[in-house]
Amino acid sequence: MLRRHPWITPASFLLLPLLVYFTFVILPTLNSLYYSFTDWVGYGADINFVGTANFEKIFTDRLFSNAIKNTAIWLALAMTAPTLLGLALALALQGKSLINTAYKSLFYLPICLSPIIIGIIWVWLYNPKLGIVNIFLRSIGQDHLATAWLANPHTALYSVFVAWAWQQTGLNMVIFLAGLTSVPTPLVEAAKVDGADYRQTLFKVIIPMLRPATVVVLALTAISALKSFEIIWVMTMGGPFNKSDTLAVFMYSESFRKFKMGYGSSAAVVLFLVTLVIIVLYFRFAAAAEELYD
Amino acid sequence: MNRRLIVALLIILVAAFSVAPAFAQDDLMGDFTVSHYFGGFGGEFIDGIVDDFIAANPGLMHAASPVDHEQFKTSILVQLAGGNPPDTFSYWAGARIQFVVDGGRLQPIDDIWEDNGMDAQFPQAVIDNAATYDMHRYAVPLTLHWVGMFYNVALFEEVGAMVPTNWDELVDVAEKFKMADIPAFALGSINRWPGQFWFDMILLRTAGNDYRNQLMSGEASYTDPEVVRAFGLWNDLVQAGYFYPDANAYDWDEAANQVANGEAAMTLMGTWIGGLYAGNEMTPGEDFDYFSFPTIDEDTPRASLGPIDTFVVSADAPNPDAAKAFLVYLTNPDVQAEFALGAGNLAPSLMVDTGIYNDVVARIAGEIANDPVFAFNYDLATPPPVAEVGLNSFSEFMANPGDYEAMLERVQADAAAEFAGME
Repeated sequence: MLRRHPWITPASFLLLPLLVYFTFVILPTLNSLYYSFTDWVGYGADINFVGTANFEKIFTDRLFSNAIKNTAIWLALAMTAPTLLGLALALALQGKSLINTAYKSLFYLPICLSPIIIGIIWVWLYNPKLGIVNIFLRSIGQDHLATAWLANPHTALYSVFVAWAWQQTGLNMVIFLAGLTSVPTPLVEAAKVDGADYRQTLFKVIIPMLRPATVVVLALTAISALKSFEIIWVMTMGGPFNKSDTLAVFMYSESFRKFKMGYGSSAAVVLFLVTLVIIVLYFRFAAAAEELYD
Repeated sequence: MNRRLIVALLIILVAAFSVAPAFAQDDLMGDFTVSHYFGGFGGEFIDGIVDDFIAANPGLMHAASPVDHEQFKTSILVQLAGGNPPDTFSYWAGARIQFVVDGGRLQPIDDIWEDNGMDAQFPQAVIDNAATYDMHRYAVPLTLHWVGMFYNVALFEEVGAMVPTNWDELVDVAEKFKMADIPAFALGSINRWPGQFWFDMILLRTAGNDYRNQLMSGEASYTDPEVVRAFGLWNDLVQAGYFYPDANAYDWDEAANQVANGEAAMTLMGTWIGGLYAGNEMTPGEDFDYFSFPTIDEDTPRASLGPIDTFVVSADAPNPDAAKAFLVYLTNPDVQAEFALGAGNLAPSLMVDTGIYNDVVARIAGEIANDPVFAFNYDLATPPPVAEVGLNSFSEFMANPGDYEAMLERVQADAAAEFAGME
């Protein structure tokens, strides 16, 4: 039997993880899709099919537009700031000296913390009176810059983003460090022999060779940015007055604060589709990067 | 067995049975879950009450789940939706209970209400407003809170301020504090809800409770002159610089501590502030005191404002008998008094001797008795989806007070859409 069907043994090993994946990922996703076509409030048995009404409404919803705008800002910042910082740190700390190892550990440390903890730490740092950010600004005579970072509608989103980027940068640094180990040393040395200075070596040799790592960093950062919720919720709950709402926060607020599970699910579907597009793009770029390497 | 040991065991048994409260029921068995939002102030007292109930009913296996006040608003509904509700849970009387009753997630308690003569134990207004939904009893009131202006007595004496009784006097007092370089009003609205008390009180003192009820049910508009005027009066105070800066950066307890520390003169808050001040070892009537929100329009009937905490029974409670027995236990005057004293609130039960209260709470009890109306605060008076719109607007107002008329246009559009979605 096994000889005639050699796939049975590996398939049986896959059965349990597939079951878990189906139960905890596929099934809830299908459930959300179903709810997005209903007016369910989140509890109670009263569920009515409303067709595409939720989707028609969501694209005229002022708060949804606000969440889309904030998500776009968040995504744009996420693709640049932690990526460039992660790359800069990786380049600066790629040696194996003790001090480099110590710094790498320090920059990686935030990854080991829960976003909830990160959020609480930064809420304290941003405290208008006792927070170190304002204390520092006042100590250097920049009192006019000191503000209630999380309560100020103009700074709330960016302040939360800084806390999120603080964590994300460490992960990006590690991925770039791994990428740097795969840059062939002879290639770098050949560039030097040919008279290339550090800047030319960096932009003409190292960064192009880091393309696979960059694709991974950008894809992971984009997905992480789109689903970032906990840190925003802990720090501002989307406030003040929706100024730091992203798609994920909008989805949660509509579902669990306004008790419109059907409507919130339609936001979840939109978020899922946006993430799906990014994953597809990731696979296309990843394949192109692999071809370049080959 | 040793004779002395037998005698000792008998004494222990007799003692155990003699102290067992009358609420012990031999037939109460199995797991029993209580969920509540008294995570901070009051949490230890409600846990003590639950422990006493369990001790009196040894057949029950208790699983308590205190949840952070803000998170509870979401988590309990997730539990109800997920089909794993606690047997009983604390909940805010008013629109929130009505919302869950409409969803069919609570079971009526008419049987225990009648069997235990609860009509005689609570004021009629509390029974009508807090316990009764769709003509059935659903909730047992545990605490009654009252919203008023709590102030730092020493600061008032320092600037020579008198307790204001009308709007002009309130503005004069605020101006005195401004002259002394002390913000008159502390407001910590990072979690939005503390801002609602300003809107509630000004609207109640100008347009009155009947109009407010219309607004809360969607029959009146946020662009009505009544609402515009209420925001206008609030705006006058904010624009004059009477508020401690950056209200949206602080929580209510931080604002309360600003008053306690002398950084601000007063804060509009509920009686639970007394529990916080008791923790700071502040003496009621000496270190802090209160005054009722001043009259604005003489001909508008006075109204008290505040929430009432209740306990309810889940429709799908796995152990409804234990849940109902617990609710009956909560009506015990000793239990009501214990919780009220611990959390610094008022007990809704008529059976509780008002002599137990400190001077401040006793006077507040008199205020409630004298006011013809007891209204629930905004987020308990209007349906939750609409409350979300309003609560956001109060935060927005504190950040951009001058734009309130344009803001009210948006609030009305959003509130109307939410009301329409609920039909």
